[in-house]
Amino acid sequence: MRQAIRALGWAIYILWLVIIVFTVTAVYSAFQLGLEFGEEPQVSTSGGTVTLTLPFSVENNGFYDINDLNVTTILQESNGALVSNSSTVLPLISSGNKVNATHNISISLENMTSASLSRLLFYDTDLDMDMSLALRYAGVIPFKISTNIKNFTRWGAPLYNLTIGNPYFADSRVVVPTSFENHSFFNLTGTMRLELVNNLNQQVGAGVTEINAPSQSVYSTSVGVTVSDPRNIREARLYFDTSVFSYGPVVMPIG
Amino acid sequence: MAVVKGLLWFVFLYVVPMFIVSSLSEFAPEIFSSYGNLLLVFVAIILFFVVASELTSGTIFQHAFNIGKALILMIFIVVALEGGIVALDFQGFHLVADLRIYLAMLLTIDLVGLAKSVLQAINFLSEKAESQLPTPSPR
Repeated sequence: MRQAIRALGWAIYILWLVIIVFTVTAVYSAFQLGLEFGEEPQVSTSGGTVTLTLPFSVENNGFYDINDLNVTTILQESNGALVSNSSTVLPLISSGNKVNATHNISISLENMTSASLSRLLFYDTDLDMDMSLALRYAGVIPFKISTNIKNFTRWGAPLYNLTIGNPYFADSRVVVPTSFENHSFFNLTGTMRLELVNNLNQQVGAGVTEINAPSQSVYSTSVGVTVSDPRNIREARLYFDTSVFSYGPVVMPIG
Repeated sequence: MAVVKGLLWFVFLYVVPMFIVSSLSEFAPEIFSSYGNLLLVFVAIILFFVVASELTSGTIFQHAFNIGKALILMIFIVVALEGGIVALDFQGFHLVADLRIYLAMLLTIDLVGLAKSVLQAINFLSEKAESQLPTPSPR
């Protein structure tokens, strides 16, 4: 029994030594971890998606490897409506290495045509960002740091202040003046279809016009509509088909 | 002897770690300043049982105190590490560390210590019982 007690005593000393060495080296290594974000994010538009590219680098000067490093950014309106959810995963950052990567925050404009986000087409707003960094340290310690940044960026609506003026008759057609302000950071090109509807909810005519609204500009145009019966026109319905989104109908009363 | 041992453990477990915690508190006070109180409680537990064990040396109570120390330290470690999931807030950031494997390692060491104390108690009782047996006289 004495030998067993002595062996257990030695086991305790060795285990404590291992724990203390691991703790000290792990804490020291944690302070040797460097995370840097590059310069201003770059913005690009492709199809129906706007992408903010954030270059960053992780330098691991500690004793242990970092596994499954996950950078996640969630953009949302102040009321909690989700605008974007993007993640970047780095499987392994070995001890003594530095890894350069880019984190892409993608905003799908097609998603904005859904009911909860369609307001973003017409109203400017501030977007909040939840950012989190999760990793597994030394293979055994999962670790996560997160923060919430209020008013991270300002969202400019591409169809801000969409307005139709008083229609008038010209050249046997009804001409409808239309204007909007493109507050977004991308150019808006495509077509706008305008339908006129009477009191009986019948379409009495439709017209299509090209739109080419550069970023941060005021755009106005007039749509000529050949109508079967110009009387009792109640409302106009607008349909947008652009390079970045398709949306409609936007119902606007006339008169 | 009990006082000497208590003072040595006090220096080893409180003075030196407190110096380290104070140094780390300069870099991140929101994280490390709260651990001063935990360290104080930990040292108080150790000192109590070290002194009590030394004062009851040679009796079964010494081993009882060692067993009690192991059990209370296990409970203290679970409470101090908040069940293994440690969450902290500092400077607008929220940190969560999953230290359950680390907690398991610490509990394992305590369990081994508990087993050692139990064996020591059993060994003490068996030796005491053997010493009370009549010594057979040679014919």
